[in-house]
This record gives sequence, structure tokens and C-alpha cells, in this order.
Amino acid sequence: MSDTAAITTDEVKQRIRELLADLFGSDRSVSDVPDTVSLREAGLPSTALVSLLVAMEDAFGFEWDDDVEPEVLRSIESLAGHVVALRG
Amino acid sequence: MAVELGIPAGVAPETTLATCPVPWPHGPAQQFAAGRRAAASALAAAGSADRIVPRDPDGRPRFPRGFAGSISHTDHLAVAVVAAGAEAVGVDIETAAISPRTAAFVLRERERRTLLAPAGAYTPRELFAAKEAAFKALNGIGALGDFLFWRIELDQSDGALTASYRGEPVPVWVRSEADLSFAVAIRR
Repeated sequence: MSDTAAITTDEVKQRIRELLADLFGSDRSVSDVPDTVSLREAGLPSTALVSLLVAMEDAFGFEWDDDVEPEVLRSIESLAGHVVALRG
Repeated sequence: MAVELGIPAGVAPETTLATCPVPWPHGPAQQFAAGRRAAASALAAAGSADRIVPRDPDGRPRFPRGFAGSISHTDHLAVAVVAAGAEAVGVDIETAAISPRTAAFVLRERERRTLLAPAGAYTPRELFAAKEAAFKALNGIGALGDFLFWRIELDQSDGALTASYRGEPVPVWVRSEADLSFAVAIRR
């Protein structure tokens, strides 16, 4: 995917799920978490959350701002919405 | 996991700690239950008659009045720390390896340069745990609002580690056992 390619929210959500599967392997309690459910409440440890954020930087070609709002990092849907907004 | 966790050196002696193994299949439900069992044990050791720790709407454990506490767990072990009379407590245990990229994400350049070995005395996992523990202790302070744990800053003075966010400090103690790092932050 190029930095300028149009990308839909569903495509981003799917890619995030792939990243989660890469990080967690067979732990389906995390990789199958519903889009709007809190990743932390679903059992994602903080080390894994940071690993996911780092992987998203590589996958989507951006860097997280220091002042990103915590709510952006809450769920697959909120993460995807942030990426789509950046790419819009 | 055959690890005997103890309160790090320097923490007030009235602080109590308890652990509980997380049974198979080691999922969120088992981790939650093990954390509550550890909390009940730590509260009992601290002298609390009330040993129930419900979950607040925001997900945080609500310890009995007068017994500040905190819970952390990995897939296999839960730990709870209680400090009677303290304003807030935060505890964190970590077993995951912290990659250089992850360390760069959560630690500022100054923190990496001064606190990590060889210039400093800490490992990336210990500093990660320190920030998480401090976050739990500071997160309940309403004036600070919602923030991310890696925004906390770590400083060392006279061998002691202090975490702070927006001018609100909390001392943090860390230790490592086998493949596990453990941090406690207590705000009085």
C-alpha cells in the first residue's frame, strides 16, 4: 500500500486484525475482539498495545503524535478511524 | 511460574503483597479472578476486614477505604499490593521482552541515555514496568485527566526512582526476579 493510496476503514480494521494475529498468534480472545470493544479490557497487555502501535507505524506509514488522545487507542475501530483520518 | 515476589527494598514495611497463579486457560477471566484473590490476601495481611475489590465503571479496582491497592497480572501470575493509609498505589509486573523500538516509543531520549544500562542501573522492562506502576498510582488523581502511561517522566536522584506527570510526583521501586520485572509506586 502506498502512502497516498485511498484506504477504507474496513481495510484498516482488517490490517489491524492481521497485526494483532501476528502479535498474538492463536490467542483468539484478542485477535477476535469486536471492533468497538476496549483492547485493554479484552486482555491486551500494555506491552502488546505498544507493539501494535509500533507495527501500525510501519504498516500505515505514519508516526504517532506525542499528544494523541488516549481514546484514539481504545479499540480497533478508533485506531482505524485515526488512520483513515490521517490518510484522508 | 516459580517466582517468589517480594516487596522491593525501600518500600514502607507496612506495605503488603500477595500473589496468585493464573489457572489454565490463562485468559482474561482467569487473570481477573486471580487478581482479586491476590488482592483479598494482600488486604487480609494489611488488616482490612473488607476484602472485596469490585471493578469501577472505568475498569479500575476499587479497594476498601483506607487501604490503597493495585493489581497486576501476566498470563500466569497475578500480584496485588496494598498500602494502608496511602493516597494511591500502582503495581505492574512484566515478563515480555521490550524491543529497542518499544523502548524508544515509551522512553524519552533522556530516560534511555541516563537510566538504561550501562549509564543507568535499569533494564528497558524495569522502566516500562515503572511507568505502568506510576500510571496506576497517578491515574486516579482527577486533576490530571486522561493520559497515556508513556507520557510519565522518570528521574533518578540518590539512587531512587521518581515518576512524574504534570508536576505530580510518585516514587517508584523496581526489582527483577528470573524473567519477571516488578514495579511498585506509592503516593502518600
